[in-house]
Amino acid sequence: MPAFTLNGRLTSLPTRDHDTLLDALRDHAGLPGTKLACDRGECGACTVLVDGRPTYACITLAAQVAGRSVTTIEGIGTDAAPHPVQAAFVRHDAAQCGYCTPGQVMAAVALLEATPHPSDEEIRAGMSGNLCRCGTYPRIAAALRELAANGTTPADSAQP
Amino acid sequence: MNDATPKRFVSTEVEVEGRVEIKLVELPAFAVTPWDADAPLTQVGHSAPRTESPLKVGGRAQYTADLARAGMLHVALRRAGVAKGRVTRLDTAAARAVAGVRDILTHDDIKAAKLSAGAARLFDPHVTYAAQPIAAVCADTREAAEAAARAIIVEITPEPFVLTADDALADGAPIARGGTSNAAFGTPRQRERGSAEAGLAAAEVTVSIHVTTPAALHAAMEPHGAVAEWSNGQLTIWEGTQGIFRVRENVARAFGLPQSDVRVICEHMGGGFGAKNYAGTHTYTAALFAKRLGAPVRCVLDRHGEQTDTGHRNSTVQQVTLGARRDGTLTLIDVTADAPMGVGGWAAGPTAFAHQMYRCPNVRTVERFAFTNVGAMDSFRAPGFVEGAVGIERAMDALAEKLGLDPLELRRRNLAERDPDRDRPYSGNAIAQCYDEAAARFDWSARRATVAAARRRARDDRSTTRRGVGLAAQVWSTGGGPPASAIVRISSDGSADVMVGTQDLGTGIRTLVRQVVAEVLGVDLARVRASIGDTAHTPYTNNSWGSITTPSVLPAVRMAAIDAKAQYDEAKATGAPLGQMQFVGRGSRGPNPDGTGIATFGVQMCEVEVDITSGVVRVVELVAVHDAGRIVNPTLAQSQLEGGIIQGLGYALFEERVLDAATGRTLNAGLHDYKVPTFADVPAIAAWCVGGADVQANHVGARGLAEAPIIPTAPAIMNAVADALGVAPDALPLTPWRVLGWLESAR
Repeated sequence: MPAFTLNGRLTSLPTRDHDTLLDALRDHAGLPGTKLACDRGECGACTVLVDGRPTYACITLAAQVAGRSVTTIEGIGTDAAPHPVQAAFVRHDAAQCGYCTPGQVMAAVALLEATPHPSDEEIRAGMSGNLCRCGTYPRIAAALRELAANGTTPADSAQP
Repeated sequence: MNDATPKRFVSTEVEVEGRVEIKLVELPAFAVTPWDADAPLTQVGHSAPRTESPLKVGGRAQYTADLARAGMLHVALRRAGVAKGRVTRLDTAAARAVAGVRDILTHDDIKAAKLSAGAARLFDPHVTYAAQPIAAVCADTREAAEAAARAIIVEITPEPFVLTADDALADGAPIARGGTSNAAFGTPRQRERGSAEAGLAAAEVTVSIHVTTPAALHAAMEPHGAVAEWSNGQLTIWEGTQGIFRVRENVARAFGLPQSDVRVICEHMGGGFGAKNYAGTHTYTAALFAKRLGAPVRCVLDRHGEQTDTGHRNSTVQQVTLGARRDGTLTLIDVTADAPMGVGGWAAGPTAFAHQMYRCPNVRTVERFAFTNVGAMDSFRAPGFVEGAVGIERAMDALAEKLGLDPLELRRRNLAERDPDRDRPYSGNAIAQCYDEAAARFDWSARRATVAAARRRARDDRSTTRRGVGLAAQVWSTGGGPPASAIVRISSDGSADVMVGTQDLGTGIRTLVRQVVAEVLGVDLARVRASIGDTAHTPYTNNSWGSITTPSVLPAVRMAAIDAKAQYDEAKATGAPLGQMQFVGRGSRGPNPDGTGIATFGVQMCEVEVDITSGVVRVVELVAVHDAGRIVNPTLAQSQLEGGIIQGLGYALFEERVLDAATGRTLNAGLHDYKVPTFADVPAIAAWCVGGADVQANHVGARGLAEAPIIPTAPAIMNAVADALGVAPDALPLTPWRVLGWLESAR
């Protein structure tokens, strides 16, 4: 496939025209953090950023991201230096089984990049494309409210 | 051994999801003093962060479907698509010709193995439900496997089938799965305490209601799946499961292997909710292909398979009659309930709640379970009690209305301080406090009046919304019990490993286990590592079901830590260098106290707003107060409370598997048309626990919490809708068309 930027690096993967971005990431790029749960754009577990916009990778063809920039959960932070959203999710216990969590984190990152200080209503609208069967929504809301109030500069994540 | 050797093993009774089981118990080698309410604990009872959170938020937690073994092959299943019939043709020639296909399994290939998954023989040509697997394809890629599975030519001679309990139990009904009748699990199953006749005679007021509850799907985000790999005659299975040792036993038996030759690993799993307790089609299929092909094999269900062939909460039809004196004292609880079970499952009876919730001398229940032609039901978070609470708690509100009593007051007057079912004391019971604190926070009495006044104004103003309030209560056995064992290993630097054969569904047991060890050793939490979810490296504990994990595992862990610490302290006292020495402690879960009920209690209150033009119900606010004994980690408990409530909200408002009467197929097998709650559906939730250390239950003082919070949510919402609209809702979920129907019939 034509090259695209994956987590900041120019990349080309041996995908075919009909391969989804999700399969490209999981099976060809070795990035299993983006989850397969419904495979038909219903749940949001596969949410990644394409040019900063939250996108369901399972209903996006790999070919569609040619020349564009894709960011996955592996590309936003590390154990030592988590993204402020990841740190806030940990502080507020916003993951139970954790399977939907990478998608939730990516949706939250996209929301805060577009709207750094979202209202409760904006948080609700921005996060409603991601299902969580464990019911972590109130914890995610708490994490996002804190980020909405305090901002998401890297220093925010330095809290224990 | 001589007569003076104390006994190591005895048998004891344990309650699991309403059933009483006889268990073998290893008597603890020494007694452990309970941590009472005043114990000066610095780790236990405090909100340590969840151990695996950094991995989960980083996308680095490895689930079964993420595992990539070198040379791994992929599986797709072909399902019958016909509710009942016999496979007359299964032509795999075209499928074998698909590029990348390695192997195909049909019934002919495994006849000798006699494998069954759920209630059906694996790939049985006698089809008993539409989602039944009849063949499997193994290929280099998932895509090739799926293409080949579709290319298998299948012909099935259809036969008459049944989908509802009524149809299944009618004279001359088609037989769903064999035998001479569809009556299942001892149908009719009758239980009576006191005398229903006497209860009716003593009643000054009676109410009788009819309710139906839906079939609900677990819909875990991670589908069922397994990766299997054989090496040197031994089999390793990676599987997202609630029971690593049960899967090991299932697989060992199926393949005729010693249990010690099977290793089951579950590092992380994407939700279970009761549906992942055994090895299944995916497990056996992966292991069979892996053996035949000499390669690691992954079999993960697709979403359709997950929604149709991994269990469900069975639907019910209930008739509830209550009798009471004018002061509200219950004289009679009389329930009949029908439940279609699919082709198997177990009798998660919807009437146990009727026996346990309220103090009432006369309780009679009759349950009819029927085999039907859909996939087998399976336990789903508080099975039976969720369904049963709908009937009883709706009837309690109907009774309160008839008596002119506040529904809260009616419940308080019938509060069961003792276990009314088995006439014994509870180890602890703070339900009175649950009522008090919930009512205070919700401002129940004043709010009920305010909302009623607002409703009258809304009617006068021709507003299109109506508000109402409702409540419901809950009981659920959560004592846990033996067997559970643990090993704690202290290294010479004082850091420790704890090994325990449990698994984490997302409840956070790793964190709790570490907290208990850190507490006993007096070390920082960071100095304790927990190894769980691997049969090769941990001693046995039971499945994570029935809210038993916390009260079963933690006492064993605590004892192991005490044992290890005593050795470590003794060794240090010698003054000799410890070198690389390790100090290994063992702990086991002792028996439960005799003649004592152990349960978790709770009360939930909510306010709803109903749009009377669209029929849409919105839950505005919900207050939940539960008593589960000592809370080991308040933050994780909060997550369990909220999670249960939100699943209960889905059951109340949206969730209903719909079967096509013409074909027996599931019409809404996706996550779009089977709607689970989204972020936007969640009300303001205030949830907390009362009660504190329960030293009668076990020496850690904790009871189980995970399932209880889902029980009262749906009936509380249903009662609030009844209050808002002045109608008598008789079915869940409270969908717009049902709401509009009730409004229409009340007009």
